[in-house]
Amino acid sequence: MPETTPAERVNIPLLTLITQQSLDEDYRHVAERRAREGGGSTRRRTLGTATLVVAAFGLLVTVAAVQNSERAGVETARRESLIDTIDERRADVAALEERVVDLQELDVSLQDNLDDVTAATQSALARVERLGTVTGLGGVTGPGVRITVDDAEGVPVSHRDLRPLVNGLWQAGAEAITINDQRLTARSAIRNSGITVRIVGNNQALSPPYVVEAIGDPRTMQADLMETSGGLLFRATAEQFGFPWTMNTVDNDEPMALEAAPPRLMRLRSAVEGNAAQNPQKPRKEASP
Amino acid sequence: MIAALGLLVGIVLGVVFQPDVPLGLEPYLPIAVVAALDAVFGALRAYLDGIFDDKVFVVSFVSNVVIAAAIVFLGDKLGVGGQLTTGVVVVLGIRIFSNAAAIRRHLFHA
Repeated sequence: MPETTPAERVNIPLLTLITQQSLDEDYRHVAERRAREGGGSTRRRTLGTATLVVAAFGLLVTVAAVQNSERAGVETARRESLIDTIDERRADVAALEERVVDLQELDVSLQDNLDDVTAATQSALARVERLGTVTGLGGVTGPGVRITVDDAEGVPVSHRDLRPLVNGLWQAGAEAITINDQRLTARSAIRNSGITVRIVGNNQALSPPYVVEAIGDPRTMQADLMETSGGLLFRATAEQFGFPWTMNTVDNDEPMALEAAPPRLMRLRSAVEGNAAQNPQKPRKEASP
Repeated sequence: MIAALGLLVGIVLGVVFQPDVPLGLEPYLPIAVVAALDAVFGALRAYLDGIFDDKVFVVSFVSNVVIAAAIVFLGDKLGVGGQLTTGVVVVLGIRIFSNAAAIRRHLFHA
C-alpha cells in the first residue's frame, strides 16, 4: 500500500480512501520497525493473546445473536398479539355494523309506527275539537244570534221562559249556546234558583238580563227560530208578560267567542265507553241494585 | 489453528452461559460486533500478509469496539443514532469487504 501525503489524501475520494486503508496501517508500521530493528522474531510471541481476543469476539457475536433472537421472539409475540387484537376488533366492528343495520330497520319500523300514531293523534284531536263544540266542553268562536231578555216589572224571567227559547235555538240549527257566558252542555238543564235562573252543572247563578248567544248560520237562524214552536212560545210569553227583549244577528265580522263549560262536567262516574257488544262484562257491583 | 479454537471456545461459552447484557448497553452490542468483525478480518489479512502482530490486534480490536459504540452513543444523545449507526456500518462494511477480497487473493491466488 503506497504511503500518501496529506495533500494527496485530500484529493482521494472517500470510498477509495476507505478501501485503500482497509488494513490498519499499524500492522505495517510495526512490521517496518521490527525489520529495522533486525527483527526476525515476528512469530516469536505465542498467539495466546490473540486467541483470547478471538474468543472474546466469538463470545460477543454469540451474545449479540442470542440477544437479537430473543428480541425477535418478543417482537413476534407482540405482532401476534397485535394481530389477535386486530382480529378481535374486526369482529367487534362487524358485530357493531350488524347492530347498526338492525337499529336502522328498527328505526324504520318505529318511524312507520310514529307516522301511524301521529295520524291517529291528529284525527283524535280533530274529533276532540268537534266533540268539544258539540258537547260544550270546548271553546268555540263564530257568527250567530244574540238574544237579550230582561225581567218585566214584578215578573221575573223563569226557566220556563228560557227553556223554549233554547230548545228553539237547537231546533234552528245552533251549534253552541251560552246564557250569560255559561255554556250549555249535553248534560245541562235550566232551572230556577229562587227568582233567578241557573244552569244545573255549571253551579253558577245567573242574573238578569239574560244574554243568550247561539252560534249558527247567521243568515237563516232568526227566521228558523221563529218557525219553531219553542221560538214562537218564547215570543208569545215575552209579549204576554212584557219582558223587554231584543234579538240581533252577529255576523262573521265580529264573531262571538263562547267559553267552554267547566272541565268537571267532562268527568263521568257511571257511564263506561262502548256499547253492550264492546263491554260484555257484567255491570260493576256498586252500580247494581 | 489456535485462534480458530479460541473462536470456538468463545461461541460455546456464549451459548452455554448466555450472559445478560445490561439494558443500557444493548443498543451498542450489534455495532460493537460489526467493529470487532472488522478488526478480526484485518488481523486475518495481516496474518496472511505476514505482518501480524498480536499487540496491534488487541489494540485495534478494543479501540474499534469502543469507538464504534461511542459514536453510536453520541449519535443517540444527539438524536441521529440511527443515521450514525448506518454510517459506521457502511464504512466498516466496506473495510470488511476489501479485507475479505485481499484474504481471498492470498488463499486462492486469484
